[in-house]
Amino acid sequence: MGDVRVLFVDDEPDFLDTLLKRMQKRRIAAFGAQSGEEALAWLSSNPADVVVLDVRMGGMDGISALRAIKTAHPLVEVILLTGHANLELARDCLAAGAFDYLMKPVNLDELLYKIEDAFQKKALQEKKIRSLEEAIGTRT
Amino acid sequence: MPIGGYLKKLLRRRAAAPDDAAALRLEFKERYHHFKLLLGANCKALEVMSDIEETLRGERLFGMTFVRAACTSVCVSVFSMVRGLERLAPGKYTALFERFDAIQKDIEEILARPLPPRDPRLVIPLAELNRELTDAAGGKMANLGEIRNRLGLRVPPGFAITTAAAERFFAHRELQTEIDRRLQAAETGRLDALYALSAEIQQMIIRAEIPPEVEEAILQAYAALEAECGHGVKVALRSSALGEDTGENSFAGQYRSELNVGRDTLLTAYREVLASKYGLPAITYRLQRGFRDEDIAMGVGCLAMVPAVAGGVVYSRNPVDPHDARVFINAVWGLPKAVVDGSTACDLFVLSRDDPPELLAAEVREKERKYLCYPEEGVCRLEVSGPERLQPALTREQAVALARVALALERHYGTPQDIEWATDEAGEIVILQCRPLTAKEPPTEAAAPAALEEESLLCRGGVTASPGAGAGPVFVAERAADLLSFPQGAVLVVRQALPRWASLLGRAAAVVAEEGGFAGHLASVAREFGVPALFGLPGAVERLRAAGEVTVDATGRRVVAGRREALLAAQAPRRPLMQGSPVHRLLEEAARRIVPLNLLDPDALEFAPEHCRTLHDITRFIHEKAVLEMFRFGQDHHFSERSSKQLYVEVPMQWWILNLDDGFTEEVEGRYVRLGQIACRPMLAFWRGFTAIPWEGPPAVDGRGMLSVLFQATTNRSLNLGVRSKFAERNYFMIARSFCCLNQRLGFHFATLEALVSERTAENYLSFQFKGGAADFERRMARVHLVAEILEDLGFGVEIREDHLVARIEARPEPDLLKRIEVLGYLALHTRQMDMVMANPTQVEHYRRKYRADIEQLLARGSA
Repeated sequence: MGDVRVLFVDDEPDFLDTLLKRMQKRRIAAFGAQSGEEALAWLSSNPADVVVLDVRMGGMDGISALRAIKTAHPLVEVILLTGHANLELARDCLAAGAFDYLMKPVNLDELLYKIEDAFQKKALQEKKIRSLEEAIGTRT
Repeated sequence: MPIGGYLKKLLRRRAAAPDDAAALRLEFKERYHHFKLLLGANCKALEVMSDIEETLRGERLFGMTFVRAACTSVCVSVFSMVRGLERLAPGKYTALFERFDAIQKDIEEILARPLPPRDPRLVIPLAELNRELTDAAGGKMANLGEIRNRLGLRVPPGFAITTAAAERFFAHRELQTEIDRRLQAAETGRLDALYALSAEIQQMIIRAEIPPEVEEAILQAYAALEAECGHGVKVALRSSALGEDTGENSFAGQYRSELNVGRDTLLTAYREVLASKYGLPAITYRLQRGFRDEDIAMGVGCLAMVPAVAGGVVYSRNPVDPHDARVFINAVWGLPKAVVDGSTACDLFVLSRDDPPELLAAEVREKERKYLCYPEEGVCRLEVSGPERLQPALTREQAVALARVALALERHYGTPQDIEWATDEAGEIVILQCRPLTAKEPPTEAAAPAALEEESLLCRGGVTASPGAGAGPVFVAERAADLLSFPQGAVLVVRQALPRWASLLGRAAAVVAEEGGFAGHLASVAREFGVPALFGLPGAVERLRAAGEVTVDATGRRVVAGRREALLAAQAPRRPLMQGSPVHRLLEEAARRIVPLNLLDPDALEFAPEHCRTLHDITRFIHEKAVLEMFRFGQDHHFSERSSKQLYVEVPMQWWILNLDDGFTEEVEGRYVRLGQIACRPMLAFWRGFTAIPWEGPPAVDGRGMLSVLFQATTNRSLNLGVRSKFAERNYFMIARSFCCLNQRLGFHFATLEALVSERTAENYLSFQFKGGAADFERRMARVHLVAEILEDLGFGVEIREDHLVARIEARPEPDLLKRIEVLGYLALHTRQMDMVMANPTQVEHYRRKYRADIEQLLARGSA
């Protein structure tokens, strides 16, 4: 899957650990954060393509973290992964720009495909911006 | 302008054209990506919808976790589609957002129906309880209050800790939210995962803090009880859950009771009883019977301990045979626990319904064990020694008095009763609990026991604890760990009929126990689930351990080797457990906003966002429009790489190809594309099938067939090419490497084929639609049914509405789907104009045979 960099945010250390190990086994550049605050701090100094975010965490909740990430890093794609099946929340997350809202337990392949799709979306968007910039550049 | 600047500008302008092309190419790529995401979401939505339908129809077990997850998942997918179409056609279909919101609101409301308000007290003394307070005190305590206060029967002194108190407890510090989160994330299909989860949640509850106001109320009520019964009175804490013991559902034995509790352990015991709501038996029972977690509010009864001399259960009628109206009493020495958990033999007294009841039969058994409760040591299991072992645990007078109580309770409640009782040191009867009896209708045909060769008989005798017959491989369960490995459909064989095995009954074909009778918890749960159970078969474990598959004929009281269809056939089918349960009703209602499809005809005026009434309608609409938008974009941008090209195979074919992304092996200039330049795997598969076996030419049409064709051609508006867009006129493929969408108009019918086939097996799908034709309706129908038959054989799910056929297959590996596409290619050619001959049965049979033979040949070939 190219060189995708993924940040996983979950306040359950066991779950996070297992997930990171399994991702690294699949040769994904996977990083972990245990709260929304930690994720934002990490993102401010490290590049990432996709963030996989738990909805319900201590401290900053998932949707606030999602909004903060999309504001500070609009191109970063965010996938919600949660044990919380709540219609309204799911809709709010999507409306706030989440790429998808997945429910635990999730099949690892399915998660990988989602990450791949999100990464591709980001790559296309970046290309488009670059070509727009070039187009503007050539006409001035 | 200096010459250098002019040159620069010229160079830039010349460079601009390829830049535009590159931008457009990128735009195509992006659109295709969104389109693919939309198709993926569509596929997911349809998958969840069919899952919901199947769940509603079948006997599969599900709980609120499933309902919430399914509804959320389908909404997420549909919303993604709405968003995706907005990307493909900005501003064009914004009305869909409103429709989606309205439907989602409805679903949310259905899922979140509030519970009716209840009595707000945290504790209620028994003296104030009655049936009307069931919501507050739970069934068990409300019943005890009712019979104490309205019938004047003796019950132990005590009070109820209400469901409102339990709600406060679970709401305190968001305990319930955390529990829900863990349950939602669990794989409830796996017993071992559930087992770990159950332990984890119970630990959380036992460690949780009791809200101060609840703690205070409990301790005050206990102090009042001490004033009545003496300082330091020992109590029993028993679950009195809402929804348990309501007649059709007996939550027999799922919850913990704590006996011999004093002031110092009262609060811990309270938490332990509450925790048993998440014990494995309780969780599985709720799943199996369709109760939501929140449907079960945990009331807890706190009752002074009765120093029981004898105890047991009385049934106001025969619990295994409703035609037998006699009163049945089971009795043991000590607490009734030994009867209830099936751990020892017990005396049986049978009495008539006369006034006074007459003792008709007494079977006095050797009672090896008893449970007694001592103030210091608590509940102890003791060996019964001396003459007591063989003495009846009840006197005749006591038996008669008990039968009277049972009949009075049946009259009062209007249904047969199941009553737990004890006698105290003065010989007085105390009622510990009563509830409606779950009796099972025996199989209607009282079939004479089928003759069996003697050697196949493995065990004979015992007690019918739950009537019926079931077959399966023997599984001997001895330890709690065996719970985890119990296979679906096996015959459960145990030594004692302990309540702990109840959580296996949803998966067991039958139960055999060496000890235990029809009065135990396991027996009543078996009856409720309709699982045949035969108890009291000494030596059964050793005799059956290596028997492999057996048939348990619980009604005929025997176990035979192998699977005996004759015995099984006489049994009534199990009733679907979920039907009519709160969760089932809820899902049914939510499904009404999700599953039905009202938008059928894309050419109809009603095919519009404002007519979308369900989520299925929305997906149907979006799918249609997304395909159209993708195609239109290609047509609108006259950009040689991306405008449609005519397929050229020796000669130009009437097939147009639009490349969405990576559908060609190289850049293709000019009007034509050659087969060798196509990289689209599903399209190539279709082509292989299409060209595999030459067409025999049009079938011979009888005169009537031809007339019918002409008639349709003048009246069928969809055949009037002038009003159709170019889009629908001819055969076109939209392709990428792993995707193809084919719209085909061959002869007088049209077909669409859509396939996404890659190494992502879970996302793969193949959908095929087929409609119309020029012959009259009956012939079109005959053809549609022939095609349906062929596709069903290939594993497609097929739906037919009038002459419109929709077939779908998903989540299969790539080679499997490519083979099926080949078959569709074959059918596309060979069924053309088939409807002309469909009125002639001999010809239909001829074609059916030819198709089958051809398809077999096709499937046998290796992939090209």
